[in-house]
Amino acid sequence: MEMVKRPLPAGFQKVSGDDNTEEYFINMGPQHPATHGVLRLVLRLDGETVRECVPHLGYIHRGIEKQAESETYLQYVHLTDRMDYLTSHMNNHSVCMAIEKAVGIGVPDRAEYIRVMVLELNRISSHLMMFGCFGGDLGAQTALLYGFKEREVITDIFDELCGARLTMNYFRPGGVANDIPDTFIARVKKVIVDVERTLEEFDRLITGNVIIQERSRGIGILTREDAIAYGCTGCVLRASGVPYDLRKDDPYSIYDRLDFDVPTKQNGDSFDRYVIHIDEIRQSIRILQQCIEQIPEGPYRSKEKPSYRLPAGSYYAATETAKGIFGTYVVAEKGDKPWRIHSRSPNFANLSPIGKMVKGHMIADVVTVITTLDILIPDIDR
Amino acid sequence: MGLMHKLPPIVDPLPGGKTMIDAVSYIINWARSNSIWPLTYGTSCCAIEMMAAAAPRYDISRFGSEVFRASPRQCDLIILAGTITEKMAGPLKTLYDQMSGPKYVIAMGACTISGGPFYYDNYSVVKGADRILPVDVYIPGCPPRPEALFNGLLMLQEKIRKTESLRNTWHEHEIYTKPATNTWSDAAKAWDALEKIKDQEQAEARAKFKEENPDYQAFKAVRVVAPAFPEVPRKPDRPRGKSNLELWKLIQAKFPGLKLYKKELGDHEVSDTAAVEALGTDYTLDFEVPVDQYVALATFLKQTPDLSLEMLLDLTAVDFTDHFDVVVQLLSVTQGQKVFFRVSLPKKEVSPEEAPTAILASVPTLSGLWPAANWKEREVYDMFGIDFTGHPDMRRLFMEDDFVGYPLRKDFVNPNIIKRPY
Repeated sequence: MEMVKRPLPAGFQKVSGDDNTEEYFINMGPQHPATHGVLRLVLRLDGETVRECVPHLGYIHRGIEKQAESETYLQYVHLTDRMDYLTSHMNNHSVCMAIEKAVGIGVPDRAEYIRVMVLELNRISSHLMMFGCFGGDLGAQTALLYGFKEREVITDIFDELCGARLTMNYFRPGGVANDIPDTFIARVKKVIVDVERTLEEFDRLITGNVIIQERSRGIGILTREDAIAYGCTGCVLRASGVPYDLRKDDPYSIYDRLDFDVPTKQNGDSFDRYVIHIDEIRQSIRILQQCIEQIPEGPYRSKEKPSYRLPAGSYYAATETAKGIFGTYVVAEKGDKPWRIHSRSPNFANLSPIGKMVKGHMIADVVTVITTLDILIPDIDR
Repeated sequence: MGLMHKLPPIVDPLPGGKTMIDAVSYIINWARSNSIWPLTYGTSCCAIEMMAAAAPRYDISRFGSEVFRASPRQCDLIILAGTITEKMAGPLKTLYDQMSGPKYVIAMGACTISGGPFYYDNYSVVKGADRILPVDVYIPGCPPRPEALFNGLLMLQEKIRKTESLRNTWHEHEIYTKPATNTWSDAAKAWDALEKIKDQEQAEARAKFKEENPDYQAFKAVRVVAPAFPEVPRKPDRPRGKSNLELWKLIQAKFPGLKLYKKELGDHEVSDTAAVEALGTDYTLDFEVPVDQYVALATFLKQTPDLSLEMLLDLTAVDFTDHFDVVVQLLSVTQGQKVFFRVSLPKKEVSPEEAPTAILASVPTLSGLWPAANWKEREVYDMFGIDFTGHPDMRRLFMEDDFVGYPLRKDFVNPNIIKRPY
């Protein structure tokens, strides 16, 4: 019987190879619980081994950059909430910094401290989420519950602070929307105690777990050269041995006044990428402790305008979010609306080496790689 | 449930048959409403709140719905958590079709109700899930809190208990067979009637109160003085690595013809060196390069040890109506400096009918130097219709292959776009 030759799926190159084994293609996603949204991976499999992996994006492409062109600068801030919703404060911060840079307004000291405290809380909450998903995707559903339990405490703080649990829209050019409530500091102190206790639990539950280590050590190795060549940032880059953190290397806000370390790992495998998140939570706690001691009295916002008109030109501001470098590139012409806004999303670059990373691994390891890259599809597609 | 639905015509005519069928229906609906299994489906922000609802604090298992299933064949309920785009609409419809009946749909969040924040000026978002699926319960919010999700879930349970029966198979044939009623105008009329009654009642109550208390004086509001915020000057950035001037001199030594991109300075004619000093540290070095030197410059920037700009942080484009600018941002992770450079591409002359769908410019690819450029260039191709010659895999990245037009161009038109009326 003659074999029916089907056309190759999009993105695959034809290989002349071994005729003894039969390769086949499988669709992972767009609806898949472990792809953190609606990522679609087409895998070329040989048995259970992944020979090639081609990601397809755009299932949650909402055209935010086009929509931004018909909204004012302040209105754009709330759209960035919906890109990477786990780090929405940090995205807002990046847009606000770009506007501040263009218009030349500064931020009062108290506002800077409020910002940094909120940012670090946001970082912890995002990393806790990563911890939960890491456990959950590897089959340890308990970890998901542990991660969420602590995350809710931080979400409560945000709830009291700005009335939202996820899409905060709290930052404004020149400060923050409103002063912190009286209970804020006390609550942060409680979070510090709680999270420190939880981290010990995490170590006993997941980090030291034999099954987790077996499934993540040596899986999806990203070398230092590849990490740089693919433009990976954040934890992914630092797990591969590059100690680059915008907070240290190009300090914005008041990060240069604070004492903290940049955790770095050398192997670049899935386990390192996971451990570095836990280490970063510890550093964030250190930053929070210093902020609680140092926070001054004073105004929480500098003079605000109802709308901003940026002078013609192009402006760029970047923040180190929990995922990597989030940059906002604004091209301003006349008027109160941007000519073009582009967001440099960290997840986009962090996902791009996945084809290289999963090659030769088992199909179950694809899930490990995705979850330790800590990606979020709505931020990639925008 | 096919067999069960054949029972009523047989049993109903018997003495007491109707009561028996009703009792059986009641028990089935009670059981069904208390064990709704949702699908783990989530596209964006609402999915996190859906997960939070399943987590210890809120605990959806109190309502019998903790069994989130990954396969649509095992589910009764699909919670549409997150924006639905035109590209996702097809797979979503497939998911719904794969679910076995009776099946229910909850539209969670503003995006699935109407498009929400993406209603106006948007080309890719489906403006309401009810355009593709029959929605049972709507939950407003952006995103709705877990409590709101529970309210929606309880409402769905109530709906199942009250409306489902063995005789009324309203979910059997699924997708609408008759056109949707204009619920908006019905609701508006009912609301108006209610308002009239309320106004009347309030007027009566006011008159009665005045009669009883002739000396009463209304409370006058005190104007609250808004806090005065100071004008704080911005402190300049403190970038690490080489200064702009050092970088510019190094680049000028190799490529003497390059020009600084200095829109920030306005129309003043100043020399490039003076401009770099005037712009200060808030400004990142940004210069224009002709197309023929584009790849040579990129190679030079990457491979010179003094510069070592080894990471391509971003590559994007801007449409200036008469020309495109492709903007590249490079970063040195070892030394700390970063630069922008841009290549200006004039648009090709084509007839006005062809212009929206034609590829109007082309530029050599950088994906050989940086693998990171691979996807970034595909994104630019997708959004602007700029061709990158030599690119190994030039396909659209976000939109479907048959999508017409290039969204981020200024002259882009799409039938899905609803313009803001003000």
